[in-house]
Amino acid sequence: MFALALKNIRYYKGRSVTTFLLTFIAAYFFIVYVAFMNGAHSSMLKNALEVYTGSLQIYQKKYRSEGGYDYLIEDTSALLTLLNPIQGLKAYSSRLETYGIAAYKENSSAIMLTGVDFLKETQLSELKKARVKGVYNSTGDCLYMGEDLATKLHVDVGSSISFIGSAVDYSFVAERFRVCGVFKTGMYDFDTQSAFMNRDYFDTIFFSQNISTYIVAMAEDMKKNEHIASQIAEKVPPDLKVYTWKELMKSMVQLMQMDSFFGYVSMALFFLVIFFVIMIYGFINVSSRIKELGILRSIGVSEHNISALLFYEMIILTLLALICAVPLGAFTAYYFEVHPIVISGMNDMYRAYGVVSDEVPTLFDPFTIAWNTLLVFVLNLLSAIYPIAYVRSFTPVEAIRHV
Amino acid sequence: MYRVRTILHLAYRNAFLRKSRAILLVMMIGLCMGVMVGLEGLYDGMSLHMIDKTMRSDCGNISLFAKKYRLEDDIKYHISEADKKVQQLKQLHDVVYALWRIQSSGLAQTARKSTPAKLIGINIDDEEHFGKFSEFLKEGELNFGKSGVFVGNELAKKLKLHIGSKVIFTTQDAHLEIQSIALRVKAILHTTNINLDTRALFIPRETLTTLLALPKNSATQIAVISKSKEIKTLQKSIQSLFPTLDVKRFVELYPQLKQMQELMSVFNQITFFIVMSVVFIGILGVMYVSILDRIREFGILLSIGYAYRNIRLQVLIEALLLGVAGYLLGTIIGLAFLGYLSYYGLNLSMFAEGLNSFGLDSTLYATMKLSYFISTFFAIIFASLLSVVLPLRQLKKLNPIEIIRSTS
Repeated sequence: MFALALKNIRYYKGRSVTTFLLTFIAAYFFIVYVAFMNGAHSSMLKNALEVYTGSLQIYQKKYRSEGGYDYLIEDTSALLTLLNPIQGLKAYSSRLETYGIAAYKENSSAIMLTGVDFLKETQLSELKKARVKGVYNSTGDCLYMGEDLATKLHVDVGSSISFIGSAVDYSFVAERFRVCGVFKTGMYDFDTQSAFMNRDYFDTIFFSQNISTYIVAMAEDMKKNEHIASQIAEKVPPDLKVYTWKELMKSMVQLMQMDSFFGYVSMALFFLVIFFVIMIYGFINVSSRIKELGILRSIGVSEHNISALLFYEMIILTLLALICAVPLGAFTAYYFEVHPIVISGMNDMYRAYGVVSDEVPTLFDPFTIAWNTLLVFVLNLLSAIYPIAYVRSFTPVEAIRHV
Repeated sequence: MYRVRTILHLAYRNAFLRKSRAILLVMMIGLCMGVMVGLEGLYDGMSLHMIDKTMRSDCGNISLFAKKYRLEDDIKYHISEADKKVQQLKQLHDVVYALWRIQSSGLAQTARKSTPAKLIGINIDDEEHFGKFSEFLKEGELNFGKSGVFVGNELAKKLKLHIGSKVIFTTQDAHLEIQSIALRVKAILHTTNINLDTRALFIPRETLTTLLALPKNSATQIAVISKSKEIKTLQKSIQSLFPTLDVKRFVELYPQLKQMQELMSVFNQITFFIVMSVVFIGILGVMYVSILDRIREFGILLSIGYAYRNIRLQVLIEALLLGVAGYLLGTIIGLAFLGYLSYYGLNLSMFAEGLNSFGLDSTLYATMKLSYFISTFFAIIFASLLSVVLPLRQLKKLNPIEIIRSTS
């Protein structure tokens, strides 16, 4: 039957070429489309996490639900010591966030002031890379602020601004700080609201020695992040909670899931039309061969073997198309992962949502390619069912007489 | 006349002679068109909904600002005598409604949390006329009462605010003094405009102008709703009316939303092109085989003097009949799909947080445009006619005697 199937494929060229081409296009297009979709999501996530969020954060349990200075981490150094033996952490550090009003001459703005360890932040965030003016690793009363905030306050490097807020013990803070550096991440909200200060000086002003809002950490390998988070969760005191990026960036994760959902819906439409065309060509082919198949039946070939013959034809054509499409699709996915496409102008649209890069890479993932391929294969097999059922509806005599 | 009727009759009989084949083709066209039109409507609906809600909750079709205000975000760049200007705008033929708002940036604080926010002074009646403000109400009631404030839902989530919660807003007034106001949450709004949902607190216009030590008729924004399709022309006439103000259209204020709409449109066009190309291949296959099946029949007709142009007409009508039948099925499926999605919407509450953060409702509604059906109709007609060109050319080249002698 297999040899006969090969012979039929060569003989019915029109149907073979059409099935081959449509399967090739469907498989190639599907692999590349999914690679781009997943690549864009992974790039969005990487951007968002690397800019500031990190891959996991540790808080007092009630901080994220209640907030405020009542739920700060009290013994930061002890907690950081606990993280020392954890394998797979690229870096970790503590941050303390406070809000207040910053003013310069007649301009004022609400800001989020964060005390950070600038040296450790170089491994945890993109703050250093985002510097556009002045100094990054400043000391003393220096501020490292967002470019849009600086524009709003009309300040530049060297300007002295006033800050009103409250210290960790709820006492009133009114201080003067110097602007020593300016950064631009591209995320509007972040750049209009954020300012950073070295932790030593920050602690003397806000009475926050050994106290932090949260610990931020970055895993060396994001795939191991969940495992690392569970390891940390086992070690930290019970009043603390470890949040992975999936919880910290829940809205972004959902947004990506929704985007994938619509991506697959669109792909389903392409598959629907291609499935029908392959089925129609298969059906036309089978219709024109009813007499031939009737003769085969009358000389003793079983119904089962006729079905097998038609399935073999479809399997051979599909495999041939997949053998060509899969390596090409995989290569395209790999090539654009290494050399991402740059779409200038895309930034404006996505910047508001935290996407700061205009590179659109693919994601080369052999597992994804494998299931994409399997899906195309299964769909092609399904498209052969109706033509086979049609042929089987004829008795050998009816089939021979068929015009 | 008799000739045409005969050809029509023959075409009809032959088009549906092979029932399974014809049904498969009609189903393919119908299902693919129905799903494609449904997706087009859903994608367009998403962007149109975002644009509509952003216009209604914020800038309208055109907004006016004092020069430098947008750059500096400072109340010293405010519009004075905004009430008179709004009245002038309402006199313009193309203006459906106009209102003014006052806005100030500052710090919103609760006992435990604080975040940068913006306080917007509004008039509820004006907002209702302007953009059906009550539709944005998620919780509570639209009545400021004494010291009442309406809060964007994402901001409420961030500050853990509920109906009745107290919130303090601190800002700088026109005399550069720091001022604070204590407010009680009366309503939580969901505008799906992320700028408002994540940052806005709404209070009565007069309360905010008093807090900011500004005259009562001061505004930072005047927004205009227009039904005119010539928004650029309206922008020019408003600009000439108020040369000292910055007059901006929606697309200039929210370029990213326009970009998104264009991206959706490009995506829809690509989808349309791909689907129609594959549909064409399907029709081509069926028509090609249909003609080859009857080649002897055509040979006999030609040999007894039946004109080639009659055969050509018959085949063209057959292709058209199949195409139109598929189109009709597709229209029914598409209308049902779009009707359902426009009325009930697609409930994606499992992605609610992500959708809200992007400025979308958790239920997405489709839009229904006549253009989906018109463009698809012409594409299917074109694909149907094109699909018979190749088989007809082959038929024309053949000699009737050779055709009759051929066995297949």
